Amino acid sequence: MSQYKIIFTGPVGAGKTTAIDSISDVPPVKTDAAASDMTKSRKSQTTVAMDYGIMNLDDGEKIHLYGTPGQERFDFMWDILTVGGIGLVLLLDNTRADPFQDMQFFLDSFSGFIADTSVAIGVTQMDLSSKPSINDYHEQLKTMDLKPAVFSVDARVKNDVSLLVQALLFSLDPGLED
Amino acid sequence: MKKNNTKPLLLALYGMDERTHKMMAMYLKGPYKGKAIIVDEFEAEVDLIDADHIKAKDLLDERKMKTPERPIILLSLEQLHIEGTLYVKKPIQTEDLVQALKLAQNQLSSKPAKQAKAFPEQTATTPAEQEKGVEVVTTEKKQAAIKNIDKDEIKKTSKHRTAKDLTEGGFSSYLGHIEGVSFSDLEQVLNASFNPKEFFLGFVQSAVRVSREKGRILQLNSGWKPLIFFPHTQEIWLDANEKQLRAFAGLEIKNSASKAMKLVAADKVVSNCNDNMEGFYETDHFLWMLAVWTSKGRYPETININEPVYLKQWPNFTRLLVTPHAMRIAALLIQGPRTAISIANALKIKPQYVFVFISAANAVGLVSQAKRQADELIKPSHEVKPSKSKGLLGRILGRLRR
Repeated sequence: MSQYKIIFTGPVGAGKTTAIDSISDVPPVKTDAAASDMTKSRKSQTTVAMDYGIMNLDDGEKIHLYGTPGQERFDFMWDILTVGGIGLVLLLDNTRADPFQDMQFFLDSFSGFIADTSVAIGVTQMDLSSKPSINDYHEQLKTMDLKPAVFSVDARVKNDVSLLVQALLFSLDPGLED
Repeated sequence: MKKNNTKPLLLALYGMDERTHKMMAMYLKGPYKGKAIIVDEFEAEVDLIDADHIKAKDLLDERKMKTPERPIILLSLEQLHIEGTLYVKKPIQTEDLVQALKLAQNQLSSKPAKQAKAFPEQTATTPAEQEKGVEVVTTEKKQAAIKNIDKDEIKKTSKHRTAKDLTEGGFSSYLGHIEGVSFSDLEQVLNASFNPKEFFLGFVQSAVRVSREKGRILQLNSGWKPLIFFPHTQEIWLDANEKQLRAFAGLEIKNSASKAMKLVAADKVVSNCNDNMEGFYETDHFLWMLAVWTSKGRYPETININEPVYLKQWPNFTRLLVTPHAMRIAALLIQGPRTAISIANALKIKPQYVFVFISAANAVGLVSQAKRQADELIKPSHEVKPSKSKGLLGRILGRLRR
């Protein structure tokens, strides 16, 4: 049976683990550990390997949801994770000092995968910091010649995460019907 | 960043009344020879706070939280020594203020230019830096410096509420019917347009435009509940729930009623709005809702449905009213301009779902008529090429919508 997967990426604390938790049919396998480096300043636990969840489809097929570790020293895993992936969900934390820098970094890092598939961007923590706005993100993306979906997302809210993943699917094929 | 000598220093004032604002503006134009000007908080390079104001401490904390890199000048009758701030004694002496502004300017000039990093780990202090004696800041300090948190934003729950997703089945029952239009008759559907100017939508759009152009907080009095426009934060405030607004949005506004519409300055009502943070809506979200409720499946007269339209960017669907097939329409239209009918045909959906999307996206400036030469040259195929894994993607979609 084929391994179908959707990849969730983004910086530390952007909500990847929570987003997977929101739409997974099984309790996600978390590989969090106590943060020992600078990550500690943002959260006490962080993902050191990857998160993993599953969506069960009606025909018995499983969609695997993988969250990449947010730290640079694990980026060797990113290429391995994306093989056979359906598309990329990029989550960005709007309270960080420079979320555009984060966006640029992750879009560059996954550029090959995005070119082959598609990307949808979720901006988290907008209820704590409304700037930059979603329009500001689109302005930045224009300079990169990209027009992906960019949504405000509360990773704890299933509907938000679901709509973001739906946008990813429609970007791949607007003709989709459920 | 090295400052250009001809560029004035941008100051924001806090804790000062209108009269003091004017005096400061006059002073800067006169004795300070226009070397500094007053701007709003979003554009400012330096913050000037009246430290004798009743909420001075809150104002100072807020500025440190929101813009920690920005120099702060405190004005006070009492001698102040607050770390990280500059002080000018009141009553203000020209020399003292000039000196403080120069120091603030120097602080700005001495800040290193931002350097690109290989990885955006924005709080990192490397072990090597620590060994060299670079200050290792505490977790608390780091978070204060890095986390850009607005304490009030979280109270604006209407702005951050997740989307309402309308299905085909719920469309008419939620939006109501248009008298005299049968949506089962294609000919009638194609002629079903509306003029936004004859509805509340048109008045709100006009008020948003004026408020943005003037950069002023304005209030729209309509004979119903007042609407307040905040151009700098792109917010609208209204003390009414969505059900009440939906009913009002659908009413056609006749000539006599339109005379009751008045747009007035509203700088003094801001504190009332802050007492009810639930009343804040994002401007685009508000206009989008109004347009959906006004359209009910019709298209705006300002759009020629026989000509292609284009979509500037994806709407922020998680915070909007998602009408049937809206995401599919956006995904198709972002690929290139199309006519409303070609979208309906390509996606095999009823035209009114395309019209309501076009109405809403047009109201917030995301959809416009494609007039660029390049748009005319691109002739999109009417067919949507299915992806190789269409069946699988469709099943994932079904699972997500369960």
